[in-house]
Amino acid sequence: MTDDSTSRRLTSARFSVSKGLVTMAVSTVVLVILGFAIAPSSVSQGAVLGMLPFASVLAIVGLGQMLVVQQGGIDLSVPGAVSLAVVLSTHIPNQNDAMLVPAILAVYAWAIGAGVLNGFMVGRLGLNPIIATLGTNALLFGAVLGISGGIPRTTTRLLSSIAGGRTMGIPNALLIALVVLLLVTILVKRTVAGRRFEAVGASPAAARATGLRYRTHRGAAYVWAQLLFATAGIMLAGITNQPTAFQGNTYLLTSVAVVVLGGTSLLGGRGYPVATVVAALFLSQLDQFVLALGVPFAVRTLVQAAALAIGVAIYTVDWAALRRRLVARSDAATATP
Amino acid sequence: MNIQAAEAPATVATLVMSGISKSFGGVAALTDVSLEVRPGEVHALLGENGAGKSTLMNVATGTIRPDAGSMVFRGEPIDGIDPRDATRLGIAFVHQHPAVLPDMTVYENLLVALPPAVFAEAPSREEFARSLLARVNLRAHLSDRVETLSVAQKHLLEIAKAIAVKPALLVLDEPTAPLGEDAVRMLFRLVREFVAGGTSVVYITHRLAEVRELADRVTVLRDGRLRATAVVDEISDRELLALIVGRQLDSTFPPKHDGPDEAPNFIIEGLTGPGFKDVSLTARRGEIIGIAGVVGNGQSDLLRALAGLSHFEGSVSINGTQVTSKRLLGEAAYLPADRLSEGLMMRLTVRENAAISALERFRTGRLLNRKRELGMVGDTLGSLSVKAASLDAPVSSLSGGNQQKVMVGRALLSEPELVLADEPTQGVDVGARAEIYQILREVSASGIPVIVASSDAKELEGLCDTVIVMSRGHVVDVLRGDDLTEERMIHAAVSSTTSTVGVEDITDADVDERTAVRRAKIRRFVQGDYAPAVLLVAVMVLLGAFIFAQNDRYLGAFNISAMLLLVSALGFIAMGQTIALLTGGIDLSVGPLVGFLVVIGSFFILNESSTASILLGFAAMLGTSIVVGLVNGTLIRYVKFTAIAATLTVYIALQGMSFILRPTAGGYINADISRAITTKIGPIPVAFIVLVLVVVALEYALRRTPWGWRLRAAGSDEESARRVGVEINRTVVLAYVATSVLTFFGAIMLMTQIGVGDPAQGVAYTLSSITAVVLGGTSLLGGRGTFVGTLFGAMLLVQVLNATVFLRLDQMWQYILQGILILAAAILYAVARSKRRRRAARKV
Repeated sequence: MTDDSTSRRLTSARFSVSKGLVTMAVSTVVLVILGFAIAPSSVSQGAVLGMLPFASVLAIVGLGQMLVVQQGGIDLSVPGAVSLAVVLSTHIPNQNDAMLVPAILAVYAWAIGAGVLNGFMVGRLGLNPIIATLGTNALLFGAVLGISGGIPRTTTRLLSSIAGGRTMGIPNALLIALVVLLLVTILVKRTVAGRRFEAVGASPAAARATGLRYRTHRGAAYVWAQLLFATAGIMLAGITNQPTAFQGNTYLLTSVAVVVLGGTSLLGGRGYPVATVVAALFLSQLDQFVLALGVPFAVRTLVQAAALAIGVAIYTVDWAALRRRLVARSDAATATP
Repeated sequence: MNIQAAEAPATVATLVMSGISKSFGGVAALTDVSLEVRPGEVHALLGENGAGKSTLMNVATGTIRPDAGSMVFRGEPIDGIDPRDATRLGIAFVHQHPAVLPDMTVYENLLVALPPAVFAEAPSREEFARSLLARVNLRAHLSDRVETLSVAQKHLLEIAKAIAVKPALLVLDEPTAPLGEDAVRMLFRLVREFVAGGTSVVYITHRLAEVRELADRVTVLRDGRLRATAVVDEISDRELLALIVGRQLDSTFPPKHDGPDEAPNFIIEGLTGPGFKDVSLTARRGEIIGIAGVVGNGQSDLLRALAGLSHFEGSVSINGTQVTSKRLLGEAAYLPADRLSEGLMMRLTVRENAAISALERFRTGRLLNRKRELGMVGDTLGSLSVKAASLDAPVSSLSGGNQQKVMVGRALLSEPELVLADEPTQGVDVGARAEIYQILREVSASGIPVIVASSDAKELEGLCDTVIVMSRGHVVDVLRGDDLTEERMIHAAVSSTTSTVGVEDITDADVDERTAVRRAKIRRFVQGDYAPAVLLVAVMVLLGAFIFAQNDRYLGAFNISAMLLLVSALGFIAMGQTIALLTGGIDLSVGPLVGFLVVIGSFFILNESSTASILLGFAAMLGTSIVVGLVNGTLIRYVKFTAIAATLTVYIALQGMSFILRPTAGGYINADISRAITTKIGPIPVAFIVLVLVVVALEYALRRTPWGWRLRAAGSDEESARRVGVEINRTVVLAYVATSVLTFFGAIMLMTQIGVGDPAQGVAYTLSSITAVVLGGTSLLGGRGTFVGTLFGAMLLVQVLNATVFLRLDQMWQYILQGILILAAAILYAVARSKRRRRAARKV
C-alpha cells in the first residue's frame, strides 16, 4: 500500500488507553503516594518485593478470567485449577528437581483437559458457565485430594528459585507475568484468531452474521483460561514454600474483582489485559496499605468490597443518562400534578 | 384526492385524535395527523412501511407521547395517558410482537396479564380461560408451556388476552401476518362479533383485500401525514393505491445496468427454507436484484439463507458454480438490516469492524501486519468517504449512513462472491444514500451479484434491474424493465392473498389431539417443571438402597436426623437462592450472609442472655437480612450492576464485617435455644417439618398467587412482563429480600449446628445452594423452577456427602461425586431443553 494520505484519510493511533487502565493506574499511583504519606511501611522495599510475586500470580489468574469474562462467561473453577497446579508441581517432583519438567507437563495436560471440558459444555452444549465451571471445580478438587491426600509437600528448590527468585533485583514472578501479559496481548490483538475472538466477545450476534464460528471461540476462552490458571498455580507453588492443597481458594473472587476493576464488563465485550494486570497490582498494594495502617484483616476485606463497588459503578452506571433521567423526572413531577 | 369531510357523528366518537405530531431525533414520524374512530366500526389504517401507522396507535395507547395534538376518548380528554391508563379505559393493543412469557403456561400467561375482575363472572377461572382459548380457536392445553407454541399460536394467545378485557377500542397491528388461513377467518369472525357488540376496531394492515373484507372506513397515511379518510365502499382499489404510493424521493440513483446481454451469472432455483418457499430468480452480470414486499414476508429469511446462516433446499449458482450453504457462510457478504445488534460490533472500533472479515489478507507469517491492515482499511473506507473521527473511533459514534458504509467497507474488504444487503439505507441520510447506491452499482458492475431487500419500493424502483416481490414467503411477482415500478410492487404486495408458509400446525395440532391424548399428557409432564423432582427422588431411592445394602446403620434414627438437620440449613438457603434464580439473577452473597447472621446471633443469644436479649438477637438477624436483600436488589435494579457483580460486592463486604465483629470464633449459642430448634419427633427434626411446610407454601405461592406469577414473569422475559403490567423493579427487589429472609432461617439452623459465632463459617453455602437449586431443575436463565425440586436437590446433595462416610470413601469422593452430580444434571436438563426448543422452532 502506498502512503498517499489525503486530507480526509482516516488514521489510527499506535496505542490506545482505556478508561479502565487510566482509572486503575491513577488509583495505584494515588495509593503509593498515600503510602508514602501515611503508611510508609507499605511502600518499603521489603513490602513491595514481598507483594509483587503474589500480585503477579493474581495478574495471571486475572488474565485468564478476563478471557472468559470477555466472552460473557465466568470461570468458577479457578480454585480447583490453581490448587491442582500447585499440588501437581509439588507432589510429582517431591523435591526432586529432575522431575519438575514432567510435573509441569502434567499440569498443562490437566489444564487442557479441564479447559476442553468447560469449553465443550459452555460453547457446544450451551450450559450456563456458572454451573459448568462449578462442576468442573468440584472434579478438580477431587483430583487435588486424590493426588495429595490433602497433605502438603515442600516445593523443589529449582521451582522455588525460578518463581521466587529475582533477576537484577526484579522478582522473576513479575517478569513472568509481564511475558504472559505480552503474549495475551499479542495473541488477542495481533493474530487472526485473536481478533475474531475479540469480535465474538464484543457481539456474538454480529460475529455470527459475519460467518464466524462463535461457539468455538467461546469455548476456546476456557482452554486459554485454564492454561493461565495452571501457569499461576506453578508460580504459586514456587513462591510459597509449602503450599496447601487449597491454595487456589483465595483467587476465585479476587480474579473476578481484578477483571471488573480493569474495566471488562461481566456481560462480555472487549477485554483489557493491561488494565487487568494493573488492577491486580492495585488490589495487592491496597492490601499492603491497609495492613501497614495496622487495622484488622477484616477492614481490608471491606476496603476491597468498596473498591469493587466503586469500580463497577464507574464503568456500568451510565452517569450521563442518570443525570438526564433525574432531570426529566423532576420535570415530569412538576408537569403532572 | 378525495378526502371526505367527516360527517357529524350520530353518537360520541370512541377515539378522536387531532393534530398529532411526533418526531424522533429531528425526523418527523407523524405530522399533524387526525383520526376519528366511531363506535362499532372497523377502521383500517393503511400505508407503506414507515408511514407512521404503528406510531400513531402507540400514541393512542400511551406508549409514545406526542409532541403536539390532543386526544379524546369517549368524550373525555386523555392527553398524557400511559399504557396502564389506556388498559383501564378499555383500549387493547395487539402488538405485532406478542407480549407472552415463554417459560410460563398458557393459563399462567392469562392469569398474570388479565385483571382478576375479568375472571369473576365465569364459574371458575380455568373454565373462563378455556372458553377464551376456544373463542380464538387456540388449540393448546392450558398447561402447555408457551415456549412450545408456534408463532401463530402465540399471536392467538395475544388476541385472546386483548378480547378478554372486553375493550371499547381494539387495535390490531397486522394481525394476520403470521396466521394461517383458518386462523385468519376465525379472526375476521371475531372482529365482526366485537364490532356488532359496539367495540371499535382499528385495523393496521398492508393488504387491500383485508380492508375490503373487514373495514367500514379507511385512513391512509404516507410519510407520517394523513392522506385521506374514506368509506371503504366508496373508494376504489386504484384510488387507494394512488394514496399509498407516490412518496417524494429525495435521493438520486446511478444509471441502471446497460451492458450487453451476457449469460446469467447468478441463478437461484426452487429455493425453500425457513420462512420462504420455492424462490427462483436469475440475474446477469451487472444487474442488481431487488426483493420487495411488506416487511417480514420472507425477504430477510431468504437473505439469511443465502448468507449461509440457515439451511435451504434448492440450488444456488454463482458464475456457473453450484455453491453450498457452508461456502456461502464464508464467501457471501451479508449486511443485516439490524445494524445495532447484528450488523456491527458496536463496542469495537471502525477499523476492527471493517477488518473482521478480511483478517487473513492482512497476515504476514503468524501475525497481522498492522501497516497493511491500516493501509487497506484506510483505502477502502476512504474510497467510500466514511466520515469518522479516526479509525479508532467506536463504530457506535458514527452516523447511520457512515455505519452502513463501514459495513459495505467490511464486505468489500472480504472480496465476497455475493453481496446481500438488507435495508441498506434504513436510517441513512440523503447524501449517504446516493453514495451507497453508487457503491452497490459499482460492486455489481465488477461482476459480484448484489441482492438488495428493501421495504421502500421507490428505492428498489430506482436502484434495481430486476425485482421479485415476496408475500408470506412466496414470490408473487417478478418485475423487469418498464414493469419495474413502485406501483407494480406495492400492488403485488398488498393485493396478494397467499397464506403464510409453514404455520399449518394449527391443523396438525388437531390430529395430534385426537390420536395421542395420553402421549401429550406424558409430554407435558416431561416438559413441565416437576420432572426433575421425580428424577431426583428416583436417584435418592437408588442411592439410599445401595448404601443401605452396604451398611444397615445408614437408615438408623441417628443418621436420618443428622442428615435432615443438615438438609434444613441448606434447604432454607437454597429456597432463597431459588427465588433469586427465578428472577434470572443469582445471589452469591447468601453464604457470607448466613455466616454473618450467626455472628450477630452470637452476641445476643448466649447461655447467660435474657429473653429480651434473645428476642432482640433474632430481630437483629432478621433486620440485617432484610437490609442485605434491599442492598442487593437496589444495586441490581437501580444502579444496574449485574447480579454477579452486585452480590459479589456484598459477599466480600459481609465477610469483612463478620471478621470485624468477631476476629476469632467466640460467643457460645444458648444451649436451650439450640435444643428447642433441634427438637425431633421420632427421628424427624421439627425444623425439617417446618422446612417442608415452607416449601409447600412457597410452591403454592409460586403457582397460584400473583406474587409467583409476577416473579416468574419478570425472570422469563422482562420486556413482555413489563408490557403485561408487572412492576419489574419492585418484583426483583422484593425477590432479593425474600432470598435474604430465607437465608435468615437457614442461619438459625446453622447457628445450632456450629454453636458458636465463627466468622469463617457459612461461605461454602453459596456454592452448595446453587448446586442444590440446579439439581432441582431450576433454570439459571430465570422464569422456571420449583421449590420442591430444590428441596430434593438439597436432600440429594446432603445424601451424597453422607454416603461417602458410610461407604468409607475419602474426601476426594465427596468432591468428585458432587462434581459429577451437578454436571450430569446440568447437561441432562440443557439437552432436554434444547431438544424441546428445536421442536418448537420446527413448528414455526
